[in-house]
Amino acid sequence: MYVEVRGQKTYAATGGKEFDNSLPCVMFVHGSGLDHRSWALQTRWFAYNGYSVLAPDLPGHSLSAGEPLESIEEMGAWLADFIRAANVSRVHAVGHSQGFLDVLELAQQAPELLKSITGVGTAGAIPVNPALIDAAKNSAGDAAEMLLMWGFGPDAQYGISAVPGMQPIAIGRQIMARNPLYEDLVACANYENGSAVAKSIEVPSQLILARKDRLTPIKAGMAFAEELNARVTIIERYGHMLPIEAPRQTLQKLRELISTLEQAA
Amino acid sequence: MSRSSYLKPDTVALHAGYVPESDHGSRAVPVYQTTSYVFESVSDGSSLFNVEQGGHIYSRITNPTVAVLEQRIAALEGGSGTICTASGMSALFTVFITLCSAGDHMISATQIYGSTATLLKHTIKRLGIECTFIPINDEQALRDAIQPNTKMVFCESIGNPGLEIANIPGISEIAHENGIPLVVDATFATPSLCRPIDHGADVVVHSVTKWMGGHGVAIGGAIVDGGRFDWEQSGRFPELTEPYAPFHGIKFWEEFGPSALAMKMRAESMRDVGAAMSPHNAFLILQGIETLSLRMKQHVANAKALLGWLQQQKAVTWTNYPDMESNPSHALAESLFPDGAGSMLCFGVVGGRAGGAAFIDSLQLASNLANVGDSRTLVLHPGSTTHSRLTIEDMQAAGISEDMIRVSVGIEDIADIKADFGKGLKAAERAAGES
Repeated sequence: MYVEVRGQKTYAATGGKEFDNSLPCVMFVHGSGLDHRSWALQTRWFAYNGYSVLAPDLPGHSLSAGEPLESIEEMGAWLADFIRAANVSRVHAVGHSQGFLDVLELAQQAPELLKSITGVGTAGAIPVNPALIDAAKNSAGDAAEMLLMWGFGPDAQYGISAVPGMQPIAIGRQIMARNPLYEDLVACANYENGSAVAKSIEVPSQLILARKDRLTPIKAGMAFAEELNARVTIIERYGHMLPIEAPRQTLQKLRELISTLEQAA
Repeated sequence: MSRSSYLKPDTVALHAGYVPESDHGSRAVPVYQTTSYVFESVSDGSSLFNVEQGGHIYSRITNPTVAVLEQRIAALEGGSGTICTASGMSALFTVFITLCSAGDHMISATQIYGSTATLLKHTIKRLGIECTFIPINDEQALRDAIQPNTKMVFCESIGNPGLEIANIPGISEIAHENGIPLVVDATFATPSLCRPIDHGADVVVHSVTKWMGGHGVAIGGAIVDGGRFDWEQSGRFPELTEPYAPFHGIKFWEEFGPSALAMKMRAESMRDVGAAMSPHNAFLILQGIETLSLRMKQHVANAKALLGWLQQQKAVTWTNYPDMESNPSHALAESLFPDGAGSMLCFGVVGGRAGGAAFIDSLQLASNLANVGDSRTLVLHPGSTTHSRLTIEDMQAAGISEDMIRVSVGIEDIADIKADFGKGLKAAERAAGES
């Protein structure tokens, strides 16, 4: 569906069902240069099992209009406006990689909008190699090549796909090459508030980490989980692109936390 | 360059799409000879049917062995996904009916495989889809043929049987200016010699029966979604951008983006038409692909050596090979096929139709049959077989002459191929002397 946020047409996937704000809502936030399609194998399950789903494309990404936002802080503020524009009171927020930094800032700026937060393939800070930023400045496609080479785990590098017949690296490249990867990477590199924000977060939190993650190494994720007092799951064999590489395992962990919280509510 | 893997092509050909499975550690890709797959629970089955997760339901739609082949071909071509089908013709039919509906129009090069031409001229027409045929690489004819309801441009990267080279960059530029995808049948080249997506194609089709398999023991087809075409921006494809009723109103473009076309073909054509590749055939084609680049190098080397030898024989009246220096397509062939423009060549012999027939009948090593792309050398005399019912004028329009011999050059020792052809040329000379 499309939602108007700050006067801009914003696309949000709803998991293949009409959005119903009376249901508990799960919001999925994509990572650098990506879009709602990162969550294709999680959103439909929630939408067809008693939840409402919002997976927005951030401004200037894929199906959303507008200029890309320049900082994680701005992205957090934008997410708050987006949730309000969708007329939702509180969400379970799930972020992949940079998307989780956005969620942290959302938690800092508008904690009243959150029921829980989950980070997937992430940490409290995501330093970015300057060479990658330089590459992205010149060509999102070239930078996507570098990012995906590091981003996908060993099985995906051998052409293994959770969806029969498909090639996730090629799909990721096509999406990233058209999106403002440079702006996203700069925003990631500049973000330093993670640890400070972690101290203020009161809603339940979890991190789903990948053993073979080379972009946000598991050590950084584990350290941040301690700061956040979050429950942690480590998924073996897979890399940074967990929602795409290990969709079932990622979904299972999301279901466990979110359904438990909803049942208790 | 479009890329689906960071492994080098020769490694992709051996490994992509499969890592040894966890139960038994089978190094080779197992043949999952099964029709169907047990669901873990009712909920699990439901989520598979609703595309909430990837996985297998029924082998008409997907199969683990076929999926390995699909992922391997996608990686070789640099595509976002591949759908394998029962044959090359069913692959073409699947693409045509996915992109076109009754009332739509498409444009095809004239210089294409005879059965494809029949499909477009007759069968597709019967479904209400019109096709305009234009000479390949005639840019003005292409521009003139485009209509508001045109849904695709189609050509073969190397035409069959005339061996014309398609100017893929030029054709795709015009197609894209008009929001139309370019579909390329790349059977004669394989990704070992040319990856059409790198040159602007949006969809690549193969008869994997041919060089991809190479052994001549299994029929199959493949459709590669290049993943780059913007179906929304085009404005011509509501089938991909608007709700699709059979899947709860799913919008393929919104949901799947770069794999929207592949997912639509999977969800609709494989379900409704059911032209599925058998797991065993997928396994056999995988065995062939493992040696694809080695074979293609030898195919090309033999084709060029045989061409040079034929050009020195007095019983040979003419020769044709796409990157032959005297061929008008030489520069284009060198640009698109830097490692050689395949292993098909044509030549004429003295004695016309009788000379051609005598040549074929005297061969022993080369097989006279209606196939190409086998590792063995194959020959055909179109004037006596596939095109024997045509008038001389119609044959000329199709780029075929009475004396034409079509050769799919194999990978036998070139000395043996030359010796066999030498006997054939002597027979042609005798036939010419008698006529």
